[in-house]
Formats: sequence, C-alpha cells, structure tokens
Amino acid sequence: MTLLGIAWRNIRQRLLTSLLTALSLALGVALVVATLVTGGIVKQAFESGSGLGYNMIVGAKGSPLQLVLNSVYLISKPIENISWDFYQQFLPAAERPDGVDGTFSASTKTAVPICMGDYFRGFRVIGTNTAYFDRLTIGDGRPFAFSAGRNFRDDEFFGGVLGATVAATLGLKPGDPFAPTHGADNGKVHDPFLVTGILARTDTPVDRGVFVNMEGFYLQEGHAKPVEGETQTTAELEHDHTPTGPTRLPFAQREVTALLLDTASLPGLPAELTAMGLRTAINEGRDGQAALPIGEIRQLLDLFVRPLELLLLLVTTLVVIVSAIGILVSMVGSSLERSRDVAIMRALGARRSHVLVIVLIEAVLLAVGGGLAGWMLGHLLVGAIAPLITTNAGVSASVLSAAPGAELLLVPLLVVLAILAALLPALAAYRTDVSKWLQS
Amino acid sequence: MATSVLQLTDVRKSFTMPGGEQVTILDIASFSLAADEHCALEGRSGSGKSTLLNVISGIMRPDAGRVIIDGMDIARLDEARRDRVRADKLGLVFQQFNLLPGFTALENVLVAMSFGSGRPDRTRAVRLLEAVGLGDRLAHKPAELSVGQQQRVAVARALANRPRAVLADEPTASIDPAHQQQVIDLLRNTCTEQGVALLVVTHAADVAGQFPRRVRLEDFNRAATVHHP
Repeated sequence: MTLLGIAWRNIRQRLLTSLLTALSLALGVALVVATLVTGGIVKQAFESGSGLGYNMIVGAKGSPLQLVLNSVYLISKPIENISWDFYQQFLPAAERPDGVDGTFSASTKTAVPICMGDYFRGFRVIGTNTAYFDRLTIGDGRPFAFSAGRNFRDDEFFGGVLGATVAATLGLKPGDPFAPTHGADNGKVHDPFLVTGILARTDTPVDRGVFVNMEGFYLQEGHAKPVEGETQTTAELEHDHTPTGPTRLPFAQREVTALLLDTASLPGLPAELTAMGLRTAINEGRDGQAALPIGEIRQLLDLFVRPLELLLLLVTTLVVIVSAIGILVSMVGSSLERSRDVAIMRALGARRSHVLVIVLIEAVLLAVGGGLAGWMLGHLLVGAIAPLITTNAGVSASVLSAAPGAELLLVPLLVVLAILAALLPALAAYRTDVSKWLQS
Repeated sequence: MATSVLQLTDVRKSFTMPGGEQVTILDIASFSLAADEHCALEGRSGSGKSTLLNVISGIMRPDAGRVIIDGMDIARLDEARRDRVRADKLGLVFQQFNLLPGFTALENVLVAMSFGSGRPDRTRAVRLLEAVGLGDRLAHKPAELSVGQQQRVAVARALANRPRAVLADEPTASIDPAHQQQVIDLLRNTCTEQGVALLVVTHAADVAGQFPRRVRLEDFNRAATVHHP
C-alpha cells in the first residue's frame, strides 16, 4: 500500500467531512471559473472588434461608445439616424447622384451603410448592401465565408443573409422565408425576406445578425422618413426601380443608422492622420459624429473591464484562500482522530516524514478533487448561462469556453494553498508523541 | 546456542517529572533474546515494561547503553533509522490491538508493509491472514471483526515485514480468560512457524507460566522502584 493509497483511505474513512470539504472547494472553484471565463469571453469579444475592414463608424451625434456598441457589437440601442445626403458625401463620384457634394469621399476607401431597428425572433436585423460581405472582413483581414448559399444580390430586395448562430438557433436554411418585426420582437410583422445564404461561424457579433438587403428594408412599413408636405406611400413612388422588382424608396425618404468606414490615405498623409482629420471634420459638423471603434473599446476596457478584472482577481484569490482554509478547518477538526492513527503507523515503522507526507497528500487530493470538480461545474455553469451571455453581451459562449491562462493556474494555485493550509495539521502529525497515544 | 536477536547492555532511561525531579525508570545491565526464543517478561504495573518496549522498538532512545537489534545498535541511530529498523526487524502487538479503524484487515497488514524496506506484497499479506484463520475476513474492517479476530489481524500485521522478533505488550489484557489461551497459542505457534523470536510483556503469572523462558523485569532492572511516568 503506497502513501497515496493510505492518504486516499484516510479520506474515505472521513467520507462525510472529506466530501463536504471537497464540495466547498468545488463550489468556490466553480464560481471562480465561471467568473473568469465569462469575463474572458466578454473581454475577448470586445478586443476582437479590430481588423474588420473598417476603422471608423459614422452615426448620429450622441455617445460614441453607444454608436460603437450598437454598430459593431449589435448591442445597446441605436442613437438616431443620419441623413442619406450625409451618407452620400462619403461615396465616390461614380456612385453619387449629380449635385451631391463628395465632401469626405477622398478620405474614404469604403463606406458600408447599415440600417437598424428591426428584429427577428430576438436577433437584430441589419439592413445593408452587398458591400458588407464583399468588402468588410471578419477580423485580421479574413473575408466572410458562407457555410450555405451566398450573399444577396443588389437586385434581390428581399434577400437576406443569416449569421451562424441565428441559423443554428432558428434552424433556417437558404430558401427559407423569414419576416422581421418592427422595433421589437412583438412589433408589427414586416414582409417576408428569403434566406440567400448562411455565414460560416466568425465568433464575432456578426454570428448573431440577420442581414437583409437595405432596399427591401426601406420598403417596410414605418421605414420611410416622412417628407414634409407629402403623404406618399412607397407603392405610389415612381423612382428608380428594377424591371421586374418592386420600386425603390426615394433617396429623400431614406436614412441610415450608421456607416462602417474604411478610411483612405490622402496624398502625402499617413492613413492615421487622414483618419484623424476626417474624424475631426465630421465631428465639427452638424450632420453626425465619427467614432473610432478601437479607441472607444480601449477606453471601455481601461475604464471598466480592467478594473473589473482586478476586482475579479481579488475575489478569486479570496475564494481560493477561503477554500484552502476549509481544508485546514477540516483537517484540524479530525486531528484528534488522526493522532491515534498516526501513532499506530509510527509504531509500525512509519517515519515522521511519512505521516507528514500522508497528511499533505490528503490535502492535495482534496484540493485536486474539489478543484477539478469545481472546474467542470464552472464550465457547466458557463454553459448554462451561455444563452444569457449571448443575448446580453452579443458574443457566443459555450460550456467549452475557457480563460486558459487563469484557469490553468487555478488548480495548481489551490494545491499550493492546500499544502500551506495542511502544513499545520501535518506538522502536528509529524510531532505526534507515539508512546503517549499508544498508552492512552 | 542461537545468536541473539536482541541484546541490551547498560541501558539507562530517565524522565524529568513535572516538578523537575529526574527519575530513572530503566537501568539494565544486560538482557538478551535469542533468535528463536519465546520469552515472557513479567512486571508490575508502572515497573517500566512499556518504557522498555519503547526503548527496544526504538520509539524512545535510551540515555545510555546499547540496544542491539539483529546486530545493529539502534541507540546510536537517528530517529528515522530507528523507525526503519522497527519496521524491518520488529513486529509489535499492542494491548488494544491498535488496528487502523478505516482500513480492512488486509489493508492493515499492507500498511505495515508500506513502511518496511520491501515492496508491499499482497500475496504474502493474504497468506499471513489465512495463517491466522482470517482468509474469509480480508475485506472486513476492525469494527466488523470480533475481539479475537482483531487480535489475529494484529498478529498477522506484526509479521508483515518478516521481522526477527515480535514484541507483544500485554496481548491478553483486553481479552476474556476464555480466549487468552487462544491468543498465546496463536502468537507462539505463528512465531514458531515463521521462525521469529517472541517477547511477551505481561503482568499475568498464568500467561508467563506458559513460556519456556520467564523473566521478571524487577530482577534485572536496577531502577526497580515502581513509577508512573
């Protein structure tokens, strides 16, 4: 029988106490793991909002952070809309109607409009154009890929592309119809769109988006901006239309929620300076504001997430220390019973170091057992609250989500603390007076 | 004449009393036990029997003298080495049996093997328990065994590491008279079978009378005053 076997038998001998100790450890570790993983998921999601093919967001005046959260992470509420005329100032001459000034076009490489405000069974609907998937990327310059179907065409007014999570959650596939609702899930039901494609998973908020052709989006009831002095409906308008399809909404009745902008470099200026200049110019105007997603998110992380991380680290440390004290209490509580056993083993020839190691092994077994059980419980907990994280934070999470660095350290840290906590009872065992206990 | 497995020479052991008084418990000029000898050591309560066993087994170190176990003077060894000698060369049987309550009969024997020089030998542990008639009680914990069965486990455990001598401290004191003879027979027969010397400490004259050699501690302990350290 090895020392490990003896330690294991000792644990089984005090089964109830051992189980309660391991359970308290497991609960502590589960809490820590769930907190670390959840915090990690949210932080990682925010930090992944770079390299998306755009570096600036233009929207209505208001909170720049709200603009970024809404446009990039598909959370929070849209601020307001910007005018179609303002949007067109970013377009190259070939795409601008005559007479529209291209004030910002020289500083713009790509401008992708997005229109928001509709929902489909809990997911946000984003009206946009084909450029969203053709010119933007999913991070680090990687292009969008479709797991099924394709992007909608410009003339497919009622075509839509679903993010991977949306398709998986709702069980939709290319060719399936879906009808968004206005303003909220219980809002008025719009005309149905047809799924043209399902995006491959990106692990970004895009997975939770329902993207529709903005031409179809504009044609839904309540989406046309009222024009002063007119009471036109979309059906009565006679503007630009496709030969076989429905009539487009006139530009005068259009607005966009935001523009995802990839800025260009002006001749002789580095890209960063061009972007800074463009931002200043936009912000000094009345039409809208420009926000830099990376800057806003960095600010958010510095202001809230990192202090929160520090707080979590403190809580984690305290929980682990309390867990280790639990081991100490458990072992001190059973020290009387242990002393007799130790005396017997010493009489049988066990060295002091043997009994010391046996007690330490007991503590390590409890720490490892409780720690691993807590680790698994923590991940199950994350799995259980994953839908909540996805809904509220706009990022995907599952039972397999991990915070590798901190998690890998957790159980070893617990083992070290358990050994420290067990030193007191281990030293008591080490010093056991054999003759006294054998005679008593 | 068989060689000595145990030889005590000029052994002294004193204790300091709470009042600071130094009291000598053991002062033995010479005592030995031959390799195949069975000996009963008699002594009144408080005469120093337990202290003597503690000194012989290396649990206590004498203040002076030599305690030679199988040719090795354990009085000169540090505690860890005395522990090793105790594990390898001696088997102990206690008055209260002192089995580990959370361990089965087989595990109690295996635990003793864990502290010896050899590897725990499950087959030998089973054979020892079979030899004391507990082949069908291997997985029973002490609380599930009768007093007599517990004593048998203690005897098997004492023989776990092929000791040169078994030291039994009042092995019949906790047993009713009807079973005392069984325990003595068990100890003597088992030690004979295994070729192991046996030193039984007892205060019962009828028990001591069954041994071929019978000595009184008071006869060779020069510190013969009865003490209660």
